[in-house]
Amino acid sequence: MEPFTLALLLEKIQSDDPLIRTDAWQKAGSIGPPALIPLAILAAEAELEIARAARRGMWQIVHTAGAPGAEDSRPAVIKELLDLLGGNRPASVRRDILWMISELGCGKCAAAPVAAFLQDEALREDARCSLERMPGEESVAALQAALETVPREFQLAIAHSLRVRGVEVSLEKYPCQKLVPTKKTAVKRAGAA
Amino acid sequence: MAMNWRIRRREFLAAGAAASAPLVLGPGVLAAPAKKGANERINVGHIGYGGRSRGLAKELGPLVEAGEAQHVAVCDVDEKRLAQGPQDLGPQVDVYRDYRYLLDRKDIDAVVIGTPDHWHGVHFVHAAETGKHIYCEKPACCTIEESKAMVAAAKKAGIASQIGSQGRSQPEAYLMHRYLANGVIGKVRHVECFHYPSPVDTSKTADSEPPAELDWDLWLGPLRWRPYNARHLPGVFRWLLESGGGQIRDRGAHVMSCAKYWMNADKQGPVTVEATGTSPEMGLWDSAVLMNVKYTFTNPDWIMTWTQMPMEEISKRFPAEERTAADLAEEGVSKISRPGYGAVYHGENGACMHWGGDGGTWAERKVRHWQPPAGAVDVYKSPGHMQDWFAGIRTGKKCIMDIEYGAGVANLCILANLSFRLGRPLQWDESKWEIVGDEQARCLMSRPQRHPYHL
Repeated sequence: MEPFTLALLLEKIQSDDPLIRTDAWQKAGSIGPPALIPLAILAAEAELEIARAARRGMWQIVHTAGAPGAEDSRPAVIKELLDLLGGNRPASVRRDILWMISELGCGKCAAAPVAAFLQDEALREDARCSLERMPGEESVAALQAALETVPREFQLAIAHSLRVRGVEVSLEKYPCQKLVPTKKTAVKRAGAA
Repeated sequence: MAMNWRIRRREFLAAGAAASAPLVLGPGVLAAPAKKGANERINVGHIGYGGRSRGLAKELGPLVEAGEAQHVAVCDVDEKRLAQGPQDLGPQVDVYRDYRYLLDRKDIDAVVIGTPDHWHGVHFVHAAETGKHIYCEKPACCTIEESKAMVAAAKKAGIASQIGSQGRSQPEAYLMHRYLANGVIGKVRHVECFHYPSPVDTSKTADSEPPAELDWDLWLGPLRWRPYNARHLPGVFRWLLESGGGQIRDRGAHVMSCAKYWMNADKQGPVTVEATGTSPEMGLWDSAVLMNVKYTFTNPDWIMTWTQMPMEEISKRFPAEERTAADLAEEGVSKISRPGYGAVYHGENGACMHWGGDGGTWAERKVRHWQPPAGAVDVYKSPGHMQDWFAGIRTGKKCIMDIEYGAGVANLCILANLSFRLGRPLQWDESKWEIVGDEQARCLMSRPQRHPYHL
């Protein structure tokens, strides 16, 4: 049987045949970290269905690396993901990467680079969610440090994440917004002018 | 299941007082749920007014006609659907885009939640926190964290809750339950659920601008942001893992709800869950097309399997019972109109079968014709799923599909999809409602939610 290599993965995932593409992305976990950058490029630039397959392949690598017993392979996957995060990939791809990192944990190595995106308007909400879920004190510390430095409208979101992580945050200064209605309809009540 | 990091009512009041938001909720909103007497009319608000929600409003119809309930408000994130509310339910109905205006109404006693799955947990918890009784469509929620939060919120508020797995309330469900409870086939060791495949999106639809009538931000709600794609909705949200989860959630939440109820397992969970499946070959939807799941329960020991297969195979292996004109006339039963799903209960002394498990639940002939001998055990006979909920509101009795049971069934669906996504079996601790021995899977018991649409 032909060994499944990175080259073969990239060839098959770009196939016109959806069955071949699916078979390829499902095997991406066996290739691991070296596949992440080429798959991220395809996810950003390729035709719709190839891009979808590439993104699913990236997730497959994350799920393989997150399995019990795969601890040794996890740091390399996280490193590649952090490198991708720092590059100039489109926001849609980096958004996915922020969520991938959140599943693999490792606050020590990932909290600071993820927290940098709390200042990025397009990605800050995904970065906040990633840190909210990321185990370890480092992710809490990163959220705490950001609380006073982000714009006012985003402070309330950070405060929520900190509460989720068990940190007491002043409700007077950072009120909870979850039950505050904001969106009005243009539909009129029957019989109303 | 304590959630000490959640916003408590006292804290929320403090927050409300300090908020600079356009509307500060008054303390009355957070009062205890209304205790309604047997003859008092219950004011109902509808959160979501799409296809299934309109069906739920119709199912409430007999209670409205009897003067027991009144539709007073509707909300929806789609203005066209919203405008339909007063046309269907009457000119007295107020309309809102943002459900939080509806929850702010002190005169609304109860809400019917008929939104996409990814909103259920948040809508439910917020409704409980504002003292509303709740009917919420199944599956109850999308994450284990939501399950815990919903049960805790309902208990704390003292509200009546009903999850819309209405199969439990069907007349032939009562007959199946009674048959199994009396041990006619002995101890059941295997519940074999079957279902036809989940669909594949072959449309090659790219992202686009949302239609003018849709508030896409509010439709996404707790989900992480992504561009609008027409294959997210309406209805088809079911085929995405994030907003639905495939047939194991859509119909599994019915078939497995019946199984847990009839097996007296509402407070029993599996110890292991192992799912395999086939992914769609293309399209936006990512739920398994075919899925095989094995749930192992211990003490008592039994297994439940969920198997999806092509309809032709179902027709061969689980052929729908032919119901004669005499059956229909003499028993007042209906023909089996959904033969593509159901379950076989394998006992020590035989097997029995049902089809459907939702609004249509059909038991096989020998079950329907079984005559209880003297001393036989009887089981609860629901007056109807909505009616059972109203009995819960009026008397404080636990509803037939209370959130504690509904969340337990949703957990089964969630665990199966997690096992499928991760490609490995999971170990489950029912006493804590937690996955054990797999840090990544434990991490996926929750899903951070977009601000401010969070628990």
